[in-house]
Amino acid sequence: MEYSNNPLRVFVSSAVLARKALFAWLRPSMWLMQLFTMSLFQIAFFAYVAMNVQNPQAGVTYVVIGNALQSISYVAIFAVCNITGEEKQQGTLQGILVSPGNRFSIFVGRAMFQIANGLATVTIAFVYAAFVFGVDFSHADFLALGTVILVTTFAMTGFGLMLSSLGLYLRTSMIIANIFLFIGLLVCGVNFPISFLPSWLQPVSYAIPMTYATDAARMAVSGSGIFAIGGLLIAESVVGVAVMLVGYGMFKYFERVSRSKGTMDRY
Amino acid sequence: MNALGRMADTVIDVQDLFRVYRSSSGLLRKKKKETVAVDHISFSVERGELFGLLGPNGAGKTTTIKMLTTLLLPTSGRATVLGFDSAKQPMEVRKRIGLVLGGERGLYYRVSGRQNLRYFADLYGVPVHIRDKRIKEVLELVGLTDKADEKVEDYSRGMKQKLHIAKGIVHDPELIFMDEPTIGLDPQAARDTRHMVMDMKKRGKTVLLTTHYMYEADELCDRLGVIAKGKIVALDTPKGLKDLVRDSSVIEVEGFGITDVELARLRALQGVKAVSASMSEEKQLLRVQVSDPGEMVAKVTDAVHGCTIIGVKVKEPTLEDAYLWLVEGNA
Amino acid sequence: MPRLRAVTTSFRHQALVFFADPQWLIPNIIAPFVLTMVALLLYRDVTGPIVLYAILGGGMMGMWGNTLYASGFSIQSERWWGTMESVFAVPSSLIWIIAGRTLWNALIGLLNGFVVLVFATVMFHQPVQVQDMGLFVLAFSLTLLSLSCLGLVFSSAFVLTRSASVLTNGLEFPIYVGTGTMFPIALLPFWTHPLSLSLGPTWGIDAIRYAALGSSQGSFAQGYWGDLAIMAVLSVVYLAAAVLLFVQVDKVARRDASLGRF
Repeated sequence: MEYSNNPLRVFVSSAVLARKALFAWLRPSMWLMQLFTMSLFQIAFFAYVAMNVQNPQAGVTYVVIGNALQSISYVAIFAVCNITGEEKQQGTLQGILVSPGNRFSIFVGRAMFQIANGLATVTIAFVYAAFVFGVDFSHADFLALGTVILVTTFAMTGFGLMLSSLGLYLRTSMIIANIFLFIGLLVCGVNFPISFLPSWLQPVSYAIPMTYATDAARMAVSGSGIFAIGGLLIAESVVGVAVMLVGYGMFKYFERVSRSKGTMDRY
Repeated sequence: MNALGRMADTVIDVQDLFRVYRSSSGLLRKKKKETVAVDHISFSVERGELFGLLGPNGAGKTTTIKMLTTLLLPTSGRATVLGFDSAKQPMEVRKRIGLVLGGERGLYYRVSGRQNLRYFADLYGVPVHIRDKRIKEVLELVGLTDKADEKVEDYSRGMKQKLHIAKGIVHDPELIFMDEPTIGLDPQAARDTRHMVMDMKKRGKTVLLTTHYMYEADELCDRLGVIAKGKIVALDTPKGLKDLVRDSSVIEVEGFGITDVELARLRALQGVKAVSASMSEEKQLLRVQVSDPGEMVAKVTDAVHGCTIIGVKVKEPTLEDAYLWLVEGNA
Repeated sequence: MPRLRAVTTSFRHQALVFFADPQWLIPNIIAPFVLTMVALLLYRDVTGPIVLYAILGGGMMGMWGNTLYASGFSIQSERWWGTMESVFAVPSSLIWIIAGRTLWNALIGLLNGFVVLVFATVMFHQPVQVQDMGLFVLAFSLTLLSLSCLGLVFSSAFVLTRSASVLTNGLEFPIYVGTGTMFPIALLPFWTHPLSLSLGPTWGIDAIRYAALGSSQGSFAQGYWGDLAIMAVLSVVYLAAAVLLFVQVDKVARRDASLGRF
């Protein structure tokens, strides 16, 4: 039988499988509920804290926009990270890694559905920002904002793919995902400017794509056009790609290590 | 003692048990599918018997056992276990029975075997003052004393199965259910398991087990229910079942190059009752059940004309042949 | 007493499973810890009791987060390990088994909350000066029990659905918002107040603040003892609801054959 290494085909069928597998155990009604309620309550939490504190540098609008954008992290990091986690749990990881399918296509294909999921989540969050939390979008440059959202989705998914590579070796991709999910709230300029953070922590912020995005999103909402925020977007993209390459490198490394140590199906 | 205060000799009584699974698939256009897993079966088991439910995969054995052990509600019909209705009085049933589901899963693998037993002993209400002694006894019975304090995740498949059995009998139930107790075990472990089952019977326990291994059913069971596609197609002792095919013989054909075409031809022959085949790449072994071997040998060899035939033998039928004959719907 | 035994043995069992692999605690410490840090950084120009307010909120989030998460996770684990069916087959009611585990999780939640308190106090040089330690501890403990009862109610849903993780994630923030962990519920839209007040922990948090700070902004007129009384009543209601729910769960799970699936 002839073997045809068609990465595109592997990519597409991985994406379809991911969607089907997701809905096999996650009823669509649950998924929808999650889609619509998660960002709402997260934004609400910080909005009300901000309201209570009334810090001039981090007002309600600042916080709401930050969290609206940050809502993408849950999907990008957590769901993507879970892909290897779930594979391990189901014991199918070995089956996949034994196949000749292009590794990159397999994993990126699965992430595709999550990207669509992420875009939907963020859009809904921004709708909440406008209609529930009263953020003023009258001067917003929607093209710029849309671009920020798009770039961030991809960049953060790349970040998530990197984290999921750790899942090949460690038993704790869930923990890693959780840590980074919440760290993001602290260091990415979501709820307050990075300048609030101690100086030794600030470099970490710049390694995460979200940091650039939050500033860009705020600028877009107050009217800055796509050229004004271009610098930030380019920086974000660079970081996103860099992180993804690191992730891919880790993936190959860990695959090699777990084959020699036999840790692939331990959970 | 059953609910009416009488000594029940019949420990399991199944009347017209019926179970349907409903599933729906697809996101938008919901397709509803109904699968009949157990199709109006009836049978009973007496105290002290070792009763087997024999059938191929998907026949309904596991579904039946789950209904008897209160894990599943029947769609209709009644299962009475030790005098209690397993659907309506599940707690009463659960107190008195042991369940061995087996398999790789079903144990807390991050703690030790002893801890697993301790937990279930507590949940089953084993009196505290005899609990630790009982656990020790049971561990010895299954041969896990040395490994009792190691984490279950480090156990071999065979050891896990032993622990499953220990877990199922830790509260010394009078009736024990076992679902495919030797599946996936190596021959040594499987043999140990069968010894344990026979040992239970010697101690006066009643055992109902499911299996798809014919030799196991033959060796262990006092009586067998053969189940296929959710229906009981025969209910008898192993000998009684073999007698069903007593008047048959088996023509065993060994050869190369035999394909489904030849199999179809054989099945279509008049006088052939059933054909079973083990087909591998290198060699095929066919067992053709016929009533008159003298007449049929020539016809059978004709049907496989063109293939390379190593040998043709006439043999006595075994329980396997009876089973195949029943399951292939020729009963 | 078989029910009590089911509770104590499950408590013990959950502890064993926890100590076999305690790393799973980390996500639970991270979340409330980070949330507290964020709030505190927002509050950084503010001094005085409002900071203690935030620190206490963090402790509370630690308790709830763990109670919820660990309950959902423990039931999910049962599915993965395939032990759900064995647990169902025992002659002890499922609710008491889950209750035992929930109690352990809540206890760890207390520890969790305490860790957050300590960290926050150290990092922000804010000594936790509690007005009345005895009342403080009482309020904290009772709130813990109330959270356990609430967690038990949600556990019934976790048993039925395979999407327990969605529920645990979905229920985390609403409780943080609704019970006013980090801000007075008076800030919330008025139509949400009945919902907030139907949550036992809302009253508990208020009682804790009374004990720590004395009266503060947004505190309830019922005062400390009023708060505890109302919370106790609500907790009993939760427990009753949980009992009923678990009876239903038993029936539905056996009817739909969902126990054995991942």
